[in-house]
Amino acid sequence: MKRISQYGIYLFLLVILSACSGGKNDRDSILEYWSSNNIGEITFSQKIVEAWNLEHPGSTLKFQPIPEGQSSEEIILAAVVGKTTPDIYSNMWQGSVEFYAKANVLIPLDTLAGFDNFIRDRCDSLTIREITSSDGHIYQFPWKINPFMTIYNKKFLAELNLDSLPETYTEYLNAAEKFKKDLTGDGYIDQWFGNTSVRLVWYQRLFNFYTLYIAASDGLPLIKNNRASFNNEYAIGVFRFLQEIYKQDYFSKEDQTAGQDPFLAGKIASKFTGPWEIEYLERYKPEGFEFDYFPIPVPDDHQGPIYTYCDPKSIVIFNTCREPQLAFEFIKTMVDKKGDLLFLQSTKQLPRRKGLDTIKAYENFFNENQRLQAFVEQAKYIRGMDNCEVITEVFDIITQEYEACVLYDMKEPEKAIADAERAVNILLGNRK
Amino acid sequence: MRIQSKKSMISYFLVSPYLVHLILFVSFPVIFSVVLTFHKWNIISEMQYVGIDNYTRLFQDRLFWKSLVNTLTFLVVHIPLQIIIALALAYILDQKIFCKGFFRATFFLPVVISGVVVTMIWKQLYGVDTGLINKLLVSIGLGKVEWMTNKNIAMISIAIMATWKNVGLYVILFLVGLQSVPQRYYEAADVEGASRWQKFRYITLPAINPTIFMVTILSTIGGFNLFIEPYIMTGGGPLNSTLSAVLYIYKQAFEFYHMGYSASLGLIFAFIIMMVVVIQKYMIEKDE
Repeated sequence: MKRISQYGIYLFLLVILSACSGGKNDRDSILEYWSSNNIGEITFSQKIVEAWNLEHPGSTLKFQPIPEGQSSEEIILAAVVGKTTPDIYSNMWQGSVEFYAKANVLIPLDTLAGFDNFIRDRCDSLTIREITSSDGHIYQFPWKINPFMTIYNKKFLAELNLDSLPETYTEYLNAAEKFKKDLTGDGYIDQWFGNTSVRLVWYQRLFNFYTLYIAASDGLPLIKNNRASFNNEYAIGVFRFLQEIYKQDYFSKEDQTAGQDPFLAGKIASKFTGPWEIEYLERYKPEGFEFDYFPIPVPDDHQGPIYTYCDPKSIVIFNTCREPQLAFEFIKTMVDKKGDLLFLQSTKQLPRRKGLDTIKAYENFFNENQRLQAFVEQAKYIRGMDNCEVITEVFDIITQEYEACVLYDMKEPEKAIADAERAVNILLGNRK
Repeated sequence: MRIQSKKSMISYFLVSPYLVHLILFVSFPVIFSVVLTFHKWNIISEMQYVGIDNYTRLFQDRLFWKSLVNTLTFLVVHIPLQIIIALALAYILDQKIFCKGFFRATFFLPVVISGVVVTMIWKQLYGVDTGLINKLLVSIGLGKVEWMTNKNIAMISIAIMATWKNVGLYVILFLVGLQSVPQRYYEAADVEGASRWQKFRYITLPAINPTIFMVTILSTIGGFNLFIEPYIMTGGGPLNSTLSAVLYIYKQAFEFYHMGYSASLGLIFAFIIMMVVVIQKYMIEKDE
């Protein structure tokens, strides 16, 4: 009996130890690639990986969507800490790259053979400057964009009898004043011109303040030479514009996340959003519901094209990769013209590539997907994110001032922006 | 001796899994946290020794002290509300009423529902424009209340919600306490002609004092852990009025990756909780 118990314990330990073994050293493939868990991107990745593995039987690649978690950033962070990162990861938010680069977790791609020519062929000099880290290296490959625009309900705006689409602050506020209504007669507004998140999480500012700031300032940075550079007429103007919107009840102060989509339900006439909305609206829109896009509103005296925030995502190679040059060769197949066309067809998202509208191979696709035309045009005037290790804290500081000024009218925009600038400079000063 | 030694070996073997768990998941993290308070660390880079910088920063951090005040505000509203309501409901349940079992189960139900689910439901109820509570108020001629968007009442709204969620547990605890009061005390009081209130004031309350003490301590410790409600409902707003200490520590650790600083916040906070509980115990025992 004693012997049986002993052997039982040994067997149990053996099973546990063998289950715990495994990891990077045991896999058959040379490289591992994670994509996001977006269905379209999974489809695209599967096809690309399959094609690669057929052509490179000696250098096979294993693909999987990023493991499930509350957010992909959380999963990547956990993987970095546990040293279980894949070799290649797409869907890295541009704003996160500097944080990982400073921790020496990413491979500098500009040290890989063929990178310089490849990136110059794909991206313009502004984009290349934008993705260059503070140490002069490039740690990310710009992959895709989702430019923000203003979506609107065509019927509602037609009923307002506007001379043109409300593309300036004054036009937008006038249209909002005409549209807001108390439908139930209880003395409270229940039909608003638009809606944007009032949640006090830093990334929600990307959907309102930052996008409007990029549009107003033609893409000026928030941080320059390790100092806040947003204390200017554009940021103040954006705060004032949004403050007026909430003061006049043109947007609801409620989150409106439960119940039916307020845009589809006809409670709002417009919102700031991206091309991901198209497929969703086409699937769920009621009969007769028509929508279209126009650029983000800008100050009345704005001249020239209107820029926007493009929510850029990049491809990175982690420093646990033993074959970075091979990994880059794979990335090239994802982002060359053929790979980008497959990406367009699989995901309906735009690759971050110059001259999208001039590439003949993409003509048929854009003719079949007319709704994306507005975004292709917008893609010529986009900005991503500043390279700043603590960009999330910068946005958190801005969020605090946004709340006080825009949502609760407790501060003048000039003071709010100045206070945000001061706090950001203290934050950046402490990073030295 | 040999048999004793063998028995000791078996004992150690039996408690070893728990000891391993205690060392790995309790002792080590606590010791590591204390060490971390003297370092700067963002999880993925090397730890950098900074001496007492984190503590210096902590004592100058207005937002941390505001979060402590917010947490105390929550406790000041939540604890008395919880005790009074729980005691009242337990008192009613202790009487001869119809469907007692049904009411006991109903009061306890929110306790077992996920805090996230409850918070999300109440977030909708509290909605300014589309919330059910405001729709009800407007329908009876009253105005809308800015439950979660007014900085003066947002924390009170959270306290009301938290009371609704947890009161069931304390109803059960009070019910047990009430049922353990000897009947002969009430019979003697009846003979003396005591009123219902006098019996409650001079017999029931003193008899259930240990239960009141336990409920107060449990509510206090639970209240200091306020996190889910402000995290989901308000994010700490409006204007940081619902930013609880735990939420602030969480933000420093998991939004900004200031692991060393958040460890020092946690340590000071744990010390404050300990002091509050010790003071409570002293005051209640002094009363006794």
